[in-house]
Amino acid sequence: MAQILDLATRNVWRNRRRSLTTMVAVAVGALSIVLFGGFVANIFVGIETTMVKTAGHIHVYRNGYFLFGSGDPSGYGIARYRDVMRLIEQDAEMKPMLEVVTPRLQLSGIAGNFAENVSKTFLGVGLVPSDRERMIAWDAYKALVPVPSYGLDDARPEEAVVGVGMARMLHLCRALGGKNCPTPPAKAVAAQTQEGAALAALATAEGTAEGTADGKGAEQAPAGATARIDLLAATASGAPNAVPVTVIAAKSMGAKPLDESFVVMPIAQAQRLVYGRGEPRATAIVLQLKSTSMLPAARARLEALFKSEGLDLEVLDFAQLDPWYNQVRGMFTAIFGFIAALMAVIVLFTVVNTMSMAVVERTREIGTLRALGMRRGAIRRLFLAEGAVLGLIGASLGVGLALLLAWLVNGSGMTWTPPNNVEPVPLLVRAAGSPSLLALAWAGLAAVAVLSSLFPANRAARLEIVEALRHA
Amino acid sequence: MPGHAQGPDGDLIRLQGVSKTYRLGAVAVTGLVDVDLALRRERFSVVAGPSGSGKTTLLNLVGCIDRPDKGRIEVRGTDIAGLDDDRLSDFRARTIGYIFQGFNLVPVLSAFENVEQSLRIAGIAGKERRERTRAMLASVGLADKAAHKPDELSGGQRQRVAIARALVKEPALVLADEPTANLDSATGKQILDLMHDMQSRLKTSFVFSSHDPQLVERADDLVTIRDGRVVEVRRAA
Repeated sequence: MAQILDLATRNVWRNRRRSLTTMVAVAVGALSIVLFGGFVANIFVGIETTMVKTAGHIHVYRNGYFLFGSGDPSGYGIARYRDVMRLIEQDAEMKPMLEVVTPRLQLSGIAGNFAENVSKTFLGVGLVPSDRERMIAWDAYKALVPVPSYGLDDARPEEAVVGVGMARMLHLCRALGGKNCPTPPAKAVAAQTQEGAALAALATAEGTAEGTADGKGAEQAPAGATARIDLLAATASGAPNAVPVTVIAAKSMGAKPLDESFVVMPIAQAQRLVYGRGEPRATAIVLQLKSTSMLPAARARLEALFKSEGLDLEVLDFAQLDPWYNQVRGMFTAIFGFIAALMAVIVLFTVVNTMSMAVVERTREIGTLRALGMRRGAIRRLFLAEGAVLGLIGASLGVGLALLLAWLVNGSGMTWTPPNNVEPVPLLVRAAGSPSLLALAWAGLAAVAVLSSLFPANRAARLEIVEALRHA
Repeated sequence: MPGHAQGPDGDLIRLQGVSKTYRLGAVAVTGLVDVDLALRRERFSVVAGPSGSGKTTLLNLVGCIDRPDKGRIEVRGTDIAGLDDDRLSDFRARTIGYIFQGFNLVPVLSAFENVEQSLRIAGIAGKERRERTRAMLASVGLADKAAHKPDELSGGQRQRVAIARALVKEPALVLADEPTANLDSATGKQILDLMHDMQSRLKTSFVFSSHDPQLVERADDLVTIRDGRVVEVRRAA
């Protein structure tokens, strides 16, 4: 085999220009696959990192919440959720996998800036601000995807952050300022209604009546706050409830519908709104793991744990929570597959052409080797080896060049803003960090080169010796 | 010499009723017609005849690189019709050496490697292969040209390499199709002297096809062929 490989290598260099052209074609194929694959790998990593930073790896819900309960946070809240969190945190199998375990409360209702006589439906989430700060620090892949802090504080539950669109709708921009947050035209501001005044009255009344454990209500909002709004929702008992919050910032949420409806606040405030004086619950317990690779083991353990404890809870991972994740993966995988197939076809035709010409040019030599006693199989192996040499050298060149270009791109500091993102992210090509991609491009194109040589190699092996020796 | 067996009656090659026709497009070209022939071992045999008479066809069939349409061919007592393609290849690798008119050396291999290639195909292992190659190149006077590629050698030197390649595996039979046709007469004579000398030393059977009078003069056995038929066999004592 070593001798065949040696002979094949020498034969490859007989027609240098043709062989180099073929190798360049293979190299361009490998380069394209690695660069695009590395870019796609970075997109996958970026999406995963963003999701894990913001939503964690796993959400634990009351059974049925995911399908039926998002409109009914009081009905599907997890009772004694702190006990469940403790159970998870203290489990010997779970403990080494956990980065953050934190409760969340999803809610919806109406947000009103009654001083300006405007209101709007909102989708809200209550969370533990310090836990979120820990979560957004997660960067297992060094993806460098920025997820901004909300700037909320566990100790200031009455503060909230809203989407920029929401701030616009509620006329909070003058107080908050910021990009894309203009103040509305004067005539819109002037359109005061009776309904607006009634809602403001309700917010004040409910804030006092159902009130909060710490005694703070709407009237206790920080003095001089100019971005105060009231949040109204139905409590677990069905009664309307309202809490005041001070909007400390408006953050762009990327997607317009979310941007115009999102409110985030410390969970204590959200619990006051949804559960009033009743037992505070959480709609989800969010788990962030040290590594995504731990996900299957963590899921299995949680399911076993809840079953053994008789808890009616379900476990969903981030890909299940947001179908967009798998849709984006599917789309980019399909594009990558298409490009890889295109490159493989180009390599196939180039190598077939090169090897076919080599067989024609060396027909007499093939006859000579056969006359000397070389078997048909050895002739076939010789040409397959030549295809392999072309493929391996070309693919190695391509992969090497791709690594160099990826290094240059990664060091260039270029950024881009993916769809639905707010902040630009670094333009990275994960080539060196994707050994399976490098192996796929290298071995895949080498294999295509060998396969492409099969037809010419078979033709060479089938040549009749006498005919071959007669060849001019 | 090892393995230089012969047919039961002492002939190295026996052809009985051998015919061969080629098709060139729609035209059938007669190669050999009903040839009966026996060639003795350890002889310098020459197949002579005009161009297109069937000399090369006869050499191709005897050299086991072609099969007859009809008839039986035995080389060293082996009926070649009974061998499949791989066995026939192995038989050629062990038993038959070729010297081509155009030398047919592999251009990417050095003189040494071209000669060694023949032993590789015959399955001779490392050290022995290299020693035999070295010795054979020395025998044909090319010890100092071992590292040269064919395009760095003269025509005569290339044919010496081809002779060394044919003989290095110590075959029972060496076939040479007009081996001096591409050489000037002085070089042709040197090559003939060399082959004659090698044949005497190694006791290998040589079968040539040739018009070359120099070669015909030296033949132990002379087979004259015309229109695909053997018209005369002249055997020296």
